[in-house]
Amino acid sequence: MLIITRRPGEKIVLGDDITVTVMEVSGQTVRLGIDAPKSLPIYREEIWAAVKQENEAAATAGEIPPLPRRPKRA
Amino acid sequence: MSLTIESTRFGQIEVDPASVVEFPHGMIGFESRRFALVAREPDADFLWLHSVEDPDLALPVTDPRRFFSTYEVELAEEERERLGLPQLTATDIYVTVRASDQLEDFTANLRAPIVISEGRGHQVINQAAEAPLRAPLFGELAEKAADAADRAA
Repeated sequence: MLIITRRPGEKIVLGDDITVTVMEVSGQTVRLGIDAPKSLPIYREEIWAAVKQENEAAATAGEIPPLPRRPKRA
Repeated sequence: MSLTIESTRFGQIEVDPASVVEFPHGMIGFESRRFALVAREPDADFLWLHSVEDPDLALPVTDPRRFFSTYEVELAEEERERLGLPQLTATDIYVTVRASDQLEDFTANLRAPIVISEGRGHQVINQAAEAPLRAPLFGELAEKAADAADRAA
């Protein structure tokens, strides 16, 4: 893993069109500003990993058993 | 003309090419970009989001409003802008289902719904407070059934 030391206000550039700015450092918290093409999805890693896990679990489902009858939705 | 998927799960299935949904960024964790919504029976509770490119890849999905009457999707403003989505009431919303042997163990991912609009699909992060990753699908229905039984008694 590439490790770079930055101070508040400094940036790193990924490729030609992604810039990450260290906005603020306060105790255990770092605020980052990200400039990236609008079409690029950006996730907090823990959410991304959790959704990936759910997607993969959904895709490995076995047969779906018949559902009990239930009232029609309103 | 229809499109044939040689599905590992279902065998050969025919889908209308017009019903194929393009996911410009795929679904988190999968490389496929094109999926068809496949119903195995009319008015099915569960549909299958089947990859057109990968015969092994199919995810059961459902319209969350069938199970969670008050379900809402709140998008961060930048995500709505990024996707160019209209008001969400005008779009189709599905959630992935984690199936199990027991119905009571079925869960739906209310945190990351799939929004389909004008032939394009996006898995988005729902900012609403009540949107668990694993919401028991039959919890609310089971409660309603119990209430009805109580009233009948």
